Amino acid sequence: MNLMAIIIINVLISFLFGSILLGFHRKIMARIQLRPGPPIIQYFLHSLKFFFKETAFPKTASMPFYLSIVCILCGIWIAAIIIGPVLKGSLLLLFAIYAVYKIVEHNAGSSSGSPYGKMSCVRAVFSASSELPLFAVIAIIYLQVGSMNISDIINYQSIHGPLILKLPLVAIVLFVLILSKSPYSPFGITKGKDIISGYETEHFGLMRGYIMLSDSISWYMLSWMFLTIFFGNLSVLSYVVGMLVIAFLTGLINATTPILNPNHSVMSQISMALIGLLGSLLLMFFVF
Amino acid sequence: MDLGSLGGDLMGIVPLGDIVLYLTPLHLFMFIAVLTFTFLIAISRTETQVEASFGDLKDNELKVGLAEFKARRFLAIICGIATAGAMITGDLFNFILFVALTGVVNVGIVSAVKQIDVLDAAFQYGLIAMMASLPLFGGGAIILAATGTLSFFELAKFTSNSMVLFGSTLLLIGVAGETGIAPFFATKAEMFRTPGSPFILIIHLSSLFMIIRAIEILLVIIT
Repeated sequence: MNLMAIIIINVLISFLFGSILLGFHRKIMARIQLRPGPPIIQYFLHSLKFFFKETAFPKTASMPFYLSIVCILCGIWIAAIIIGPVLKGSLLLLFAIYAVYKIVEHNAGSSSGSPYGKMSCVRAVFSASSELPLFAVIAIIYLQVGSMNISDIINYQSIHGPLILKLPLVAIVLFVLILSKSPYSPFGITKGKDIISGYETEHFGLMRGYIMLSDSISWYMLSWMFLTIFFGNLSVLSYVVGMLVIAFLTGLINATTPILNPNHSVMSQISMALIGLLGSLLLMFFVF
Repeated sequence: MDLGSLGGDLMGIVPLGDIVLYLTPLHLFMFIAVLTFTFLIAISRTETQVEASFGDLKDNELKVGLAEFKARRFLAIICGIATAGAMITGDLFNFILFVALTGVVNVGIVSAVKQIDVLDAAFQYGLIAMMASLPLFGGGAIILAATGTLSFFELAKFTSNSMVLFGSTLLLIGVAGETGIAPFFATKAEMFRTPGSPFILIIHLSSLFMIIRAIEILLVIIT
């Protein structure tokens, strides 16, 4: 099939299934809290709704950054789909995309001029300093596999078995990273309800639609990355089940855990990253 | 080791004597991303930061003055260019120089503001960055002494030993200090309370991209 057609199909699937997963996540949280919760397709409907709402711009905003940052957010996650599911490229490149995502989170908050956005921007700097070390545990995967290319990681697992059995601590650390990005996460300090909607507070209409679309794609992408890195090349059904399990587990944790304050969040994440990094090195050299 | 196993297949090399620049999809992506953000910084105006004033119901508006705007924009563009250079360099000494330059320029970007808390945070970050330059350059010197080269192409062929590991550890500490990641992040985050969104963005961007490049370089050196 034509490469462009494959890319478009993958982007559409990631948006549709990603938004369904986020809806499922919300449903799980509601059921645990003994509420009926919204329908599973609610997140998808919300995303579509914002594309038809009136768009307003704060007069205090830093133009053109305020506008372009949303386009960049959308662009990087589409790039992630191309590098990941389509081309099965370098994991390090996905790491770079995640770093740009942290930049976008930071600047979307600060460029609006809103004090809530500004607070979210400062918190984004806090969270980036701990989430990047979490992502940096992919260096352990390189030491184990000898390559950062996702296709090589898949081939390695088809010969040696799933990496989750060899690198369980790395899997836990990357799961914490996914947990940090899930809605209402205990580590979600940039979107804490004490600062309204964080960096999204001043983004309305079309721009909020693009943010929600990007969130759906990013959730699908992170789940895909986790499953592919630690379980190898799965069938479509296994991917669906795996992503639903991840959404269920994160929903369960988020529904039963309060949001941490920024200092506790950063220290918890950095401690997990260090334990994962050092523990994995010990396991690699002394056990396996 | 194969350099293509880290950032994707090699797209090309530029041999400049001992220093060999090479491009992979990772370098290209980060190079283009940094230049895009630098371009946006150059053409953007700053936001007006609105805060509640204490004791009455008025809003307190914080703006960036023209002289301050020009100085900070200039330093932000320098920081962007230095970061872009660090993304495509094939030489460890060049990378270290770019990291040190971004550390200095980052302090400069916020030193033009007139908020005491922000200046205090910048001063403390400056102290950490200054102290981190010792392990940063020391790590590079030890790697040079142990391997006889600073070219990534040559370092990739070299078998790692304990001196190289020691030098790499120092290099990592140096980069962590210069870029202000955990556990050095605390004062740096306070610097971001100042208005001037486009300029403070490049501080964050340069730090994150330097860390990614540092991880790639360390894997090239030690494996």
